[in-house]
Amino acid sequence: NPIVIDLAYNYIDFPSLENRM
Amino acid sequence: PIEDLFSTLNRHIEQSEFEKAVKVADQVLSIAPADEDAIRCKVVALIKADNIDGALSVIKLSQSPTVDFSYFKAYCLYRLNKLNEALESLKSQENNPAAMLLKSQILYRLGELDACVDIYRKLQKSNIDSLEINFVAGLISAGKASE
Ligand SMILES: [K+]
Repeated sequence: NPIVIDLAYNYIDFPSLENRM
Repeated sequence: PIEDLFSTLNRHIEQSEFEKAVKVADQVLSIAPADEDAIRCKVVALIKADNIDGALSVIKLSQSPTVDFSYFKAYCLYRLNKLNEALESLKSQENNPAAMLLKSQILYRLGELDACVDIYRKLQKSNIDSLEINFVAGLISAGKASE
């Protein structure tokens, strides 16, 4: 089978916490 | 104070200590149960710790009217191979690159290769790293290797 990369994973991001610290 | 917890949480995230991040997010949530940043951090940390079932449970329990978890939910369902449910969860998403990429990966697994390849065609101008790898996989599987 051809290789498939889980590119969707790269869009699982933490929120910015800059204003919470 | 909650600011100190977020500093600790942020440090764990930067050091890729995702299980520790989940624990600190839980500490925030014990003080502020509806804190959207803490819930999002917990969901993302669970996914990155490879606890997909756990992430999906948190999403399902969260009643937040303001946070849209449909992309995370769709991604978890995709990882659990609940492909039709995953597509359903993506329906409320606008056509941003992330939703399109996830949809094309789901369609690939469902063997809906023409639809899968169509999405990669549309994404070609978006400059997404390694996109061509999945595009080629779709083309080969669809029997369109000559493209
Ligand atoms: K895949």
